[in-house]
Amino acid sequence: MDALVAQYSRPAFADEAAVSDDQLELAQSMPPLSLKFALPPVAQPSSWLRSMTDDYSNPNCPIKIAHGTTTLAFRFQGGIIVATDSRATAGNWIASQTVKKVIEINKCLLGTMAGGAADCQYWLAYLGMQCRLHELRHKRRISVAAASKILANLVYSYKGMGLSMGTMCAGVTPQEGPALYYIDSDGTRLAGNLFCVGSGQTFAYGVLDAEYRYDLTDQEALELGSRSILAATHRDAFSGGFINLYHVKEDGWVKHGFNDTNPIFWRTKLEKGEFSNVTADIE
Amino acid sequence: MGSIFQGAPIPEGPGYSFRETPAVRQAPGPSSAAGERQHGFYPYTDNGGSTLGISGADFAILAGDTRSTSGYNINTRYAPKLYKIGGDAPDTPPIALSVVGFAADGAALAERLDTIVKMYRYQHGKPMGVAACAQRLSHLLYMKRFFPFYVAAILAGLDESGRGALYSYDPVGSYEREQCRAGGAAASLIMPFLDNQVNFKNQNVPGSGQGHALEPRKPYDLPRGTVEELVQDAFTSAVERHIEVGDGLQMMIITRDGIEEVYRDLKKD
Amino acid sequence: MNHFPQAWGRPRDDVYGAYDASYLHDQNGPKAHTQSPIVTGTSVVAMKFKDGVVIATDNLASYGALARFTNVKRLRQFNTRAVLGFGGDVSDMQYLDRLLSSLSIRENYSAYASSADSADATEASAELNAKNLHTYLSKVMYKRRSDFNPLWNAILVAGLDGDGKPFLASADLLGSTFSAPSLATGFGAHLAQPMMRRVVPNEAAVANTTREMAEKAVRDAMKVLFYRDARSMDRYSIAIVSKEGGVEMMEDEQLEGQSWAFADRIRGYGTQVN
Repeated sequence: MDALVAQYSRPAFADEAAVSDDQLELAQSMPPLSLKFALPPVAQPSSWLRSMTDDYSNPNCPIKIAHGTTTLAFRFQGGIIVATDSRATAGNWIASQTVKKVIEINKCLLGTMAGGAADCQYWLAYLGMQCRLHELRHKRRISVAAASKILANLVYSYKGMGLSMGTMCAGVTPQEGPALYYIDSDGTRLAGNLFCVGSGQTFAYGVLDAEYRYDLTDQEALELGSRSILAATHRDAFSGGFINLYHVKEDGWVKHGFNDTNPIFWRTKLEKGEFSNVTADIE
Repeated sequence: MGSIFQGAPIPEGPGYSFRETPAVRQAPGPSSAAGERQHGFYPYTDNGGSTLGISGADFAILAGDTRSTSGYNINTRYAPKLYKIGGDAPDTPPIALSVVGFAADGAALAERLDTIVKMYRYQHGKPMGVAACAQRLSHLLYMKRFFPFYVAAILAGLDESGRGALYSYDPVGSYEREQCRAGGAAASLIMPFLDNQVNFKNQNVPGSGQGHALEPRKPYDLPRGTVEELVQDAFTSAVERHIEVGDGLQMMIITRDGIEEVYRDLKKD
Repeated sequence: MNHFPQAWGRPRDDVYGAYDASYLHDQNGPKAHTQSPIVTGTSVVAMKFKDGVVIATDNLASYGALARFTNVKRLRQFNTRAVLGFGGDVSDMQYLDRLLSSLSIRENYSAYASSADSADATEASAELNAKNLHTYLSKVMYKRRSDFNPLWNAILVAGLDGDGKPFLASADLLGSTFSAPSLATGFGAHLAQPMMRRVVPNEAAVANTTREMAEKAVRDAMKVLFYRDARSMDRYSIAIVSKEGGVEMMEDEQLEGQSWAFADRIRGYGTQVN
């Protein structure tokens, strides 16, 4: 009887103010990298989200999400070179010139970041977690093919929701040798020798395609990666900052610096005579 | 890319021209399924104001003006944008958060983070480090990826080696550790000043050479006095040129001894 | 995702449909909830003085331009330490009224129990104070905005906080909250707020403001609002919350000492014909 009374005497306002579920979640000691996302309660969440965040269609959109921009990776005889710029833009505003667009998933696997900076950071962190779990479960490192597929399947399940990422997974495993995959937020997953991703991709492809050979030496390959990014930062306004260079080898990746483009540009021009479109005169 | 293969009717074909401009629909479309909630309510507002953070060798400073606006109205001259995170138990490492944008989202975010840090302490019996706290904040923001918090957040504290740590965030949670960062309405006025004065961008060592031989000045850890002056200067300047900034300057100076709070008046016009 | 360099990473029109700017503007599309207010109350004005707060609203509920209901009380006493003033939608105000009644019953029930337990706890200290009430209301408002089902109100909470100090804060349909020595919603933010800020420009000035000064400033503000706010009325409610007097509610006040001399000089905004 008491239960019956309680049921019908409960005020109609029981669901006002904070929901207990939300509060319980905060109290959990180990919140997982959760896949429970809050959605705007409208009929077309993705359309709503786009109207708020698409800074290309509407430069005055209220929420400007940081976007990343030129990234490249290629396979060659000595492993894989991964190179990126470091600029993040929110509309026309340069949000940062020091973004680390190469994400170290583990000591043998690298991810790159183009598109929504938060999307890439979050999902590559999620991928890192899944890779570690794979290692613990199977007592051996995950293959690059498997890792990239986890990511591709994951983003495919969010297709049409408004994620924006163009990422590359590069790694060397005993089974596969050097392996390079391109994954984007449409769910595309491609294996390949050479990819450039981002708004500066065309400029990077221009240089990379012209000079690329599979039998490049390590030094030549590093130089080519850096030079391709330099070309992109020179011609693409949404790329710039620093050149982030990595070399993935069989025993893990090696970082080859995070260097300011400006001195590299002048060195390339003055010492090698390239970029002759730019005057060297300083008054 | 994949959508090309979906066989979905493409309204005007895939555009191959670089001059392609996006189609913009202005009028609301026909109503979809009845009973579903339709928009017509805009859930955000911008409460203006600006925030700024600079980290040093053994401290970090967070600052924000205290004006709250809606449109051209000033709601109040004292609405703090800075929040202490994790309570003030004696051995708690000092962490502060600044949020600017939509104040209600900011307050909700700060409250959630505060709860999380306190719960962590309660459940683990040790305080949460600033790096962990920074990543948790990123995840909090990303949980609302599809209905974002309209905020620019900056988190400040001291890392495990005692150095000042400053993390800046975009509205959906991409984050980065930086030396300095300005956020909010006057970010575009303050950030270039900070680039020049904190990271010494576009500064050369005098007499180091001519033309291409000029050496750029190397940034170093600025002493606390200098940083406080920079913060003050940044805000007095922003107040001169931005209508949404003014009234008061609230600063939190985070050191080994805790969080020192300073309030200074700014112009109220 | 668009792969063309100029829009790299942005949504493609052929996948997401055309960019729909209508989401950015209020009041578009079919409505399922209170997506715009219907019967509305205009400004709420309030200001602090050294031992309390004065708050006032007029007694009108408008239906668009129509002065529809002329005896609607938009001040609500919560307890001896808090009064609320509602602007915006009247139906949402009435919902909040019911919500607060249920909260009040629940709180009084538990407050009585807890104060009976401990001998030194007075009944008043266990009650919700104005600050607690404001926190509660702001959470309700923020949750409703997050559900895209807002309570279309601007609310001022006036009263005393836990230390018995004057408390005045606002909560609105978006869940935004702020506090100041003087506050006004709606049209009052433009007309009444400057008048009150002359008396209490900052917290320090509150200590030098007597009840009479505050009451006069608020009554003057109501008068000026009646002169210029087309959705206002000359009958109004005013409440004074103070530590000594508790809540003094006057619900049927008449604007006094009106002077329409200024109206003589108004020449309208269109073509001047005489």
